[in-house]
Amino acid sequence: MNIMTPVKPPMPARAKSLSVEGLSKSYCNINVLSDLNLRVEPGEVISIVGPSGAGKTTLLRCLSGLMPPTSGGVKVGDEQVREPVAEIGLVFQDYRGSMLPWMRAVENVAFPLQGKGVPKAERLARAHACLADVGLPGVGERYPWQMSGGMQQRVAIARAIAYDAHILLMDEPFGSLDAQTRFDLEDLVLSLRKQLAISIVVVTHDIDEAVYLADRVIVLSGHPATVIDNVDIELGANRDQITTKADPRFAQYRSRILEQIRRPPAA
Amino acid sequence: MRYVFVDIFIDLLRSIWLPACLVLLWLYASSGSTSIYFPPLADIVATLVGEIVHGDLVRHLLLSLSNLAVGMAFAIVFGVACGLVIGRAETWRRIWSPTLNFLRAVPPAAIVPIIIIALGVGAAPKIFVIALGSFWPILLNTIDGVRGTSTALIETARAYRIPSFLFIFRVALPAALPQIMAGIRVALAVGLVLMVISEFFGAEAGIGFYITDASTRFAIQETWAGTLLVGAMGYVLSSLFLQLERRLLFWYFQEDGQAATKRKGRRNKVGGGQ
Repeated sequence: MNIMTPVKPPMPARAKSLSVEGLSKSYCNINVLSDLNLRVEPGEVISIVGPSGAGKTTLLRCLSGLMPPTSGGVKVGDEQVREPVAEIGLVFQDYRGSMLPWMRAVENVAFPLQGKGVPKAERLARAHACLADVGLPGVGERYPWQMSGGMQQRVAIARAIAYDAHILLMDEPFGSLDAQTRFDLEDLVLSLRKQLAISIVVVTHDIDEAVYLADRVIVLSGHPATVIDNVDIELGANRDQITTKADPRFAQYRSRILEQIRRPPAA
Repeated sequence: MRYVFVDIFIDLLRSIWLPACLVLLWLYASSGSTSIYFPPLADIVATLVGEIVHGDLVRHLLLSLSNLAVGMAFAIVFGVACGLVIGRAETWRRIWSPTLNFLRAVPPAAIVPIIIIALGVGAAPKIFVIALGSFWPILLNTIDGVRGTSTALIETARAYRIPSFLFIFRVALPAALPQIMAGIRVALAVGLVLMVISEFFGAEAGIGFYITDASTRFAIQETWAGTLLVGAMGYVLSSLFLQLERRLLFWYFQEDGQAATKRKGRRNKVGGGQ
């Protein structure tokens, strides 16, 4: 894939920013999102939190190009996103539904590469390597329904990485997993961002998760939803489920965000 | 491995005891029969064996089955192909839906005479009749199956920019396969009926011809023997098909076994009036 230079550059040259400019979305005359502006720098991890029904998923669908905005736009680098683009990999909340049950895990991971025209041997090799990267070495021959939820979501992440996405969009990715599995997968996300220098946008309702994963947390609220806060999380690059979450700063971020979310919407 | 065979044997016993009892009952009840229309079962079976060994019953049967195979092959290819196209395009479906629903309501057997008159004798009209009758259940089930592809899968394919040809063959087709197979199963039954009926008219060979020919010659035992053979054939074919279905749809039945992933049940478009 990439030619590895002796000194690993901090960021691959191809990395692009993701920016949202004046994005609004309404369904049947109900405004869900109103004039949203945000920017994700290359290599940055941001979390988007907000009360349920705030339009987080709608925003993510607009970001991915699956849904056209009513006005405003989304850009990857300088290019307007109108349809799903090759730079973005998507990880859905519904991991079961997003896996093809008639394909083995490795085939599921390799499938988008077939669409890109990558030769079979190469795409399978890449899929196996990516499965190993997400902590699933040697299970590529299993079918999704022979795997636990956590494993299936790892396969979904492997698929996004194999696709060579430099922006990973995750929609409530660990919402339906048990706590321990969720922690493992959060740590997986942190280690991947270090290894691959990709940008990650995580939509979540779990504030702890949002703070733990992100360089920056964006708080959405109101009807229609707007960005009400933009919290820089300065907890360093090396985070740990126990010490980081016990850090007093972690608690401060957490309560700051929680306060925003629970605050009754301004009249 | 040994236990697998024991399991198969127990399964077999479980499914076969009732048919076995019924056959025994028939054998017993008919044993003293003097009616020329309902000869003793033992005599029918003896005739059947004799015809298979000495007569050319096997030749008739093979001829019919080859018509069935070719007809079904046409029906599957065209039914699935048209179904994939119509099922994916909403406008096409809306245009075609009333016509298709009318056409499928025409009993396939009713068109046999006109087709035989129009296309004459030989294998072609019989194949055509079988293909035409089997086409509808396959087409309608394919349309239904394609339309039932889950939104999650469609969105995943869109997000990963899967090109349409790949989407059709690796996503839409497998997703619709449980419905398609259900359609083919119904089509097989329809095809079997048409295989026999199509040989009632303007035929010189085939199992249907054998049965009508025997009945017009008043050879009641031969008529019965042919009928029994067709019945047994139908049973064997549908059992084989069920095996094939289990094998091809392993993921569907596996997945169905998990309580959490119950998908919507397969429905047969044909048979149930709406």
